[in-house]
Amino acid sequence: MIVVQIIATTLIYTAILTIVAFGGMFSERSGVINLGLEGCMTVGAFVAALVMRILPASMNPFLACSLIVLIAAAAGLLYSMLLAVAAVIFNANQTITGTALNIFAPAIAVVLIKAITVTPSTPAGTSRLNYGAFNDMFSFSFPGAESIKFSWFIVILLVLIPLVWFLLYKTRFGLRLMSCGEHPQAADSVGINVRKVRFTGVGISGMLAGIGGLALIMTGSQWDFMAAASGFGFLALAVMIFGQWKPLLIVGGGVLFALFKSFSVNYPGIFPTLATTPGMSYVFLALPYIVCLIVLIFTSKKSRAPKAEGTPYDKGAR
Amino acid sequence: MDNSKKMTFGQRAKKTIKKGFTKTILWTKGMMKKDATQTIITSIGCAVIGLLIGFIILLCINPANAFQGILQTVENFFAFNLPKTQLKYFGLTLAKTAPLICTSLAILFAYKTGLFNIGASGQYVIGVLITCFAALAWRLPWYLCILLAMTGGALWGGISGLLKAYFNVNEVISGIMLNWIALYITNALFQANAGTVWDLMLAKTYKIDSSLPGFMPTLGLDTLFSNQSACGLGMIIAPIVAIIIFIILNKTTFGYELKATGYNRFAAEYAGMKDKRNTVITMCISGALAALAAPLLYLNGLSQWEVQATVPALGFDGISASFLGGLSPIGSIFSAYFITHIIDGGSTITSLGYSPQTAQVITSFIIYLCAFVPFVKSYIDKRFSLSEMQKANGIPSRADLKQNDSVVKKRHKWKKERKEDK
Repeated sequence: MIVVQIIATTLIYTAILTIVAFGGMFSERSGVINLGLEGCMTVGAFVAALVMRILPASMNPFLACSLIVLIAAAAGLLYSMLLAVAAVIFNANQTITGTALNIFAPAIAVVLIKAITVTPSTPAGTSRLNYGAFNDMFSFSFPGAESIKFSWFIVILLVLIPLVWFLLYKTRFGLRLMSCGEHPQAADSVGINVRKVRFTGVGISGMLAGIGGLALIMTGSQWDFMAAASGFGFLALAVMIFGQWKPLLIVGGGVLFALFKSFSVNYPGIFPTLATTPGMSYVFLALPYIVCLIVLIFTSKKSRAPKAEGTPYDKGAR
Repeated sequence: MDNSKKMTFGQRAKKTIKKGFTKTILWTKGMMKKDATQTIITSIGCAVIGLLIGFIILLCINPANAFQGILQTVENFFAFNLPKTQLKYFGLTLAKTAPLICTSLAILFAYKTGLFNIGASGQYVIGVLITCFAALAWRLPWYLCILLAMTGGALWGGISGLLKAYFNVNEVISGIMLNWIALYITNALFQANAGTVWDLMLAKTYKIDSSLPGFMPTLGLDTLFSNQSACGLGMIIAPIVAIIIFIILNKTTFGYELKATGYNRFAAEYAGMKDKRNTVITMCISGALAALAAPLLYLNGLSQWEVQATVPALGFDGISASFLGGLSPIGSIFSAYFITHIIDGGSTITSLGYSPQTAQVITSFIIYLCAFVPFVKSYIDKRFSLSEMQKANGIPSRADLKQNDSVVKKRHKWKKERKEDK
């Protein structure tokens, strides 16, 4: 039973990490580092959670789910435009802008949630949002093992993998996107609008991060937005680097990190003796990050990032 | 001479005013070209816009109390009636400023070498871990606590530097990972040491008070600030460190090398500077600075570590402080004070039904705005200097206007012609 449980949690974490890492890939392939993935996830999740509070629970599940996913994507898209405007139009430092987005998102979410949840009896409010009624809509289980829930986002990921691969390598848009990340001046010289392409790249990353954020909060029936996306946005960045900015490798990286992430949830089941040791849960929480760092040490030496990533497009540069 | 005698008083006054006016304009234009002026103007602009955003958000939540809310945020301790209480809470804000100065110095020191030390939070957390163990479990005197914490931070920051220099791992990514690792390790080690360091009842570390040798000397500053026990040596250490960093960066060969590496890594390497070694040393110093924030916050009983689910904001606030201070060590003293002031003031608005996180919204938006500063600066430069085209057409620079009035006419004529050409 515990094996099935591990598989279920690994799969959902794979879905979250890979979807968001795909987003990061689109942005970096266009030449913009989106360090604000964590922020985009938070905003997507936050707006979706707000909508779930308003929507009637009696709605057609399919309709409700698609609506919520679309809203999360739209929220992430809009939020990522803050980065796109700064980085593409004003040539701002992308690392600073991304960091700002990461801090801004949970802060504004908590401020607004507290404003909604505050009542005379609890003047301090809370930073949690409840959306329990919709939790079941996003998950399914196999007959015979009803207690173990699988997430529909796994299916979304399965659809996305060929789609992303096709979009990046086989369409005019994907090739143009990659050219802007490698050599924007050359791309411009053959008539590609670099700014437009970079806006699209960042926009797609925001959309996918928004969906990833929704997938993350759907692992429970409530979410504390004080914790932002609890580091998944950053892990996704590492997955993307591990995956060498290539869709299929990213999926592999997603599975690896998700496996270690799932240990932090399931370790009492695997190692019952460790469950009572104080502080042990934090060791398992740190595990994916430690593995991540070690993997990066071995893979980064020959890593080939998009050449023009992080540098603003300067028309006059040689 | 004769001419001026013939003039009426009014005409003379007009002339003097005109002269003074041109002089003021020329002076302003000269000043606007200076980097320091531009930095001050853009920083104040960022701060004002940030506060405005905070105000708008408060307005959206509850318009009735919005003005009061933003006023309280800006007022902070001035909101108290008694001057003595004001002084006491002024001391508290100053004491809380000291750690933020340290983290902002950490960020800007690394940034001068072209490294973005987003891992400052993690280095600070390691500092907290070592400070608490040194002061509570090992009962070491305060100077040893500080030394050990800084060493730990230097090693933790050094990991990022080593990975960057020898394994090509981006320091931003490794810094983020190390932040989380530091956070979880600290949580785990504190919880595993219940009784000595960890107070199981209150679920936080024990308070470091004046009975321990680890408590920093107050130097009489506590009585000066109407018995604010948090005031003491820490308040003095931070600005001194800022001045030391200023001297290292601007007056030493080492600082010059670091900055040269920051401007152009390859050029510095060809000039014989050891690029890789400098990267590691910079990250070590940056880590030590970030870790110094921990003793300044813990060895005076200001703070106790509670189990945290997210990386502490102090390192990220350091990013806002360093950029708001124009990446200058002296500037960061003032910007760190401003940000602490806002955060402290923002924590009082819960009584109005707002969340204290409003201050976080303001500071993070300030970071966002700071990213636009280079663009605004280049705009100011353009606005206040002649373009290449103007120079090529023989139009004199604005400084020449002082000598000859007729050039103004020439300039106007040229501008008119250009308009007609278009």
